[in-house]
Amino acid sequence: MKKIIDALPLVVFASLIIVLFSFLSDKDDQLETALIDSSFPDFNLGSLSDESRVLTKQDIIKLPALINVWATWCIACRVEHPFLMKLKEESRLTIYGLNYKDNKLKALDLLERDGNPFEFSIYDFEGRLAIDLGVYGAPETFFIDKNGLIRERHVGVIDEKVWEEKFSKYLNE
Amino acid sequence: MNKLIFFLLFIICSMQISVEEKVNFDNEAYPFASDVQESLFYSLLNELRCPKCQSSNLAGSNSPISNDLKREVYELVVEGKSSKQIKDHLVDRYGNFIIYNPPIEPATYALWFGPFILILLSVLVIIFVRKRIT
Amino acid sequence: MIPEFGHLILIVHLILSLLGGTLPLLAVYGNYRSLEISIKKLSFMLFILITISFLSLIYSFLVDDFSVAYVAQNSNINLPVYYKLAATWGAHEGSLVLWILAMNAWLIGFIFFTHSKDKDFLSTVFSISCQVIFAFSLFTLFTSNPFERILPIPPLNGADLNPSLQDFAFTVHPPLLYFGYSGLLIPFAIAVAAILFKKDTREWASYSRPWTLLSCSFLTLGIALGSWWAYYELGWGGWWFWDPVENAAFVPWLLSVALFHSLITSQNRGVFGKWSILLSIFAFATSLLGTFLVRSGILTSVHAFALDPERGIFLLAILAFFVIGSLFIYSITDFGHVEENKYELTSKEFGFLLNNLLLVVLAISILFGTIFPLIYEAFTGGKQISVGAPYFEIILFPFALALGLLQGVALYLSWGQSSSFSFLPRLLIESLSIFSLIILILFVLFDNLYLSSFATIFLASWILVGTLQMTKKRNLSYWNFLRKRLAVTFAHAGMAILIIGVGVVSSYSLEKEIILSPGDSTEFSDQTINFQSIDDLLGPNYTSKSAVVSFDDGSKLSNIVTEKRTYLPSGQITTEAGIQADLFKDLYVSIGDNLQSNIWSFKIQIKPFIRWIWLGALLIAIGSFLAGVKQFQRR
Repeated sequence: MKKIIDALPLVVFASLIIVLFSFLSDKDDQLETALIDSSFPDFNLGSLSDESRVLTKQDIIKLPALINVWATWCIACRVEHPFLMKLKEESRLTIYGLNYKDNKLKALDLLERDGNPFEFSIYDFEGRLAIDLGVYGAPETFFIDKNGLIRERHVGVIDEKVWEEKFSKYLNE
Repeated sequence: MNKLIFFLLFIICSMQISVEEKVNFDNEAYPFASDVQESLFYSLLNELRCPKCQSSNLAGSNSPISNDLKREVYELVVEGKSSKQIKDHLVDRYGNFIIYNPPIEPATYALWFGPFILILLSVLVIIFVRKRIT
Repeated sequence: MIPEFGHLILIVHLILSLLGGTLPLLAVYGNYRSLEISIKKLSFMLFILITISFLSLIYSFLVDDFSVAYVAQNSNINLPVYYKLAATWGAHEGSLVLWILAMNAWLIGFIFFTHSKDKDFLSTVFSISCQVIFAFSLFTLFTSNPFERILPIPPLNGADLNPSLQDFAFTVHPPLLYFGYSGLLIPFAIAVAAILFKKDTREWASYSRPWTLLSCSFLTLGIALGSWWAYYELGWGGWWFWDPVENAAFVPWLLSVALFHSLITSQNRGVFGKWSILLSIFAFATSLLGTFLVRSGILTSVHAFALDPERGIFLLAILAFFVIGSLFIYSITDFGHVEENKYELTSKEFGFLLNNLLLVVLAISILFGTIFPLIYEAFTGGKQISVGAPYFEIILFPFALALGLLQGVALYLSWGQSSSFSFLPRLLIESLSIFSLIILILFVLFDNLYLSSFATIFLASWILVGTLQMTKKRNLSYWNFLRKRLAVTFAHAGMAILIIGVGVVSSYSLEKEIILSPGDSTEFSDQTINFQSIDDLLGPNYTSKSAVVSFDDGSKLSNIVTEKRTYLPSGQITTEAGIQADLFKDLYVSIGDNLQSNIWSFKIQIKPFIRWIWLGALLIAIGSFLAGVKQFQRR
């Protein structure tokens, strides 16, 4: 009995070390998505290219689609831009943009110069739809299925690898 | 002397605790109709986590996203939502990460009750062990 | 040339610390007496070497040698000289060298101030310390070498020191904190040697006590300065965030406080020997664990250092080697007959035991809460959670209450036998009087009473009366009081003052965000706030928008300056809060965003009694320092 008590601190501390070691090895920076499998939130915002055109949820939930949160102030968005262009050409997936807290003219300029992978971009200057989506910043990408449910979310740059790992499976459904 | 102090204390406690009249000024960043709403707002800012900054509450951050969230909280407070409703509203969108006060659920029982169980157990143990020595 | 020299010296230091970590042990245990070395000389040499190495790093900063990667990352030509100096320990690599320097300084102190006939015991303590110093040096050289060069093309200018660290408190806070952390090495090494030698509890406790008290004093000062820094530098008026980095410092502090109380009992009564050994090991372990948590990047934190998984593994290995090693030796050692001094339930021994349990369980809880988000994520498959201030405050409160109530009566308890509680009615009445007096003062000052502050204020009065009455009860003359009770009076009264500060500031603080253009004024509490002017300023390495805001309560007008600085090299923006400090209330203003042409938002706050928190902490630090120094005089 006495021996067991004497060994107790050792056992407790050794297990703490093992636990910490396991945290160290599988550190994943992905943020949780509270909205997985829930319906895309309602919104009522203008289009980036045409202020008078009012966009709502009904405009984007017809087909499976990607929603990409982007802005001109976001450097990482430029990194993923070519991939989105490629995706648009190679798959028939619809991609919508959510232009987040951005300068409208700069944003239109960028699409003019680098190409526009988006069917259209929702212009969310005040970040309202972004809050309803639980967006932390740009870039972020959501996948919604044909029923208008959010199925996947990726925080950070989307590339070939991320696409294969997280998103491509939904296309076959 | 002591009686006198007790008496003074009694008087203080029975006095109406003063409530300042609420006057609205145009230059308030977040004007409220009542003090209750105002204090709810500022206490929420201290309890909600700025999602982008990783380790700061909304009160301590001026980043664009926390300003947006402050506005969201403000609008909800003005609508008359309760503290719980506002927290639920944000948790639905951002997950429990957004509140610094973790929910009480089976997965957090160890967090919430562990410290108290541990101290009770250890006090019981030392009383027990001491009796054995004596 | 100088950086290579410093690097070389660091390598020599590494080799010598390895010798120090092995030769004395071989001499003592392997009976190779020919290997015996003078530990005084060796400790002196180690200290000189690490000092030279550190000075050469400082030199590289002062002469702007940007070919040194560490200097290039953390300094800049335009950085004021004072901050170039401070930048030496401003980031991971340099802070490690300072840490090693601190460990060497403590070791030299221990060797020169400990008078023991048992030379073998001293050699063993020295050797164990050297092993830790060796491990840290190895860690520095292999994963975090501050002398690494960028060659052949060094940058022309450096990236600059993180602007929020360009500040007075920050130049002093890390060294104090590192001295506090590293001081816990000595009690650890003494405890391990005590196991190996099966030392008499009273004897080894007397060696350990002064060093524990001194480390605790440094930790207290370091933490208090960090809190003060956060209060004015982060710009929102909070003084404690329950951030992982703060918890990483708070946990070893709690354990060091528990340890020196336990050591008092061990030294005086010969009891709690094994408990004190475990506490010594865990106090040291948590100071390393904190470093690991902060620098491995497994917890997200505002203070995050340069992150690197390799460093995390290395630190974890150091932690595992020393702590598991010592706990293993502990578990297999048969301590044989332990002196059994009996004590009653209401004796002083039992009081110390309760104090220790409360502090230790509180420390475990805070540590657990700090890493809980990781555990939760692992168990729920990626769901995230935040454990922050509201949680820790709820947990802390009952523990603080129990500790405070105990603290008020602790000094009256008697060793061994049941204590007489005849002092209680008087203590209760007098603390209620002080309580009422404080409440009355608060009412006069702030025109308001908050029931939420009553518990903490009563607790503070209880501790204060319990501490001060004791000195009266003992009927000590003035000089005898100074000699005998000064340290404990300072430390315990400091705790009371700190608790008053915490209680008042958490209930009576006022805050509001306002929008003003120059010339506008608004009312806030009993103050008229006026936005006087805003100007562009040019600092040595920043440009600044500097706003003058006046507070007028009818009798006193204070002009307070708050700045929004843009640091040129990094483009980073910081907010410099403007504070009118006062013993009873701080007026606090921080500039927010420029909304339109000259319309600005401000955050204004009134922080009553916040100074009392740091004043209390200062008294605690002085108290434990005096108590530590007194231990030397005793021998």
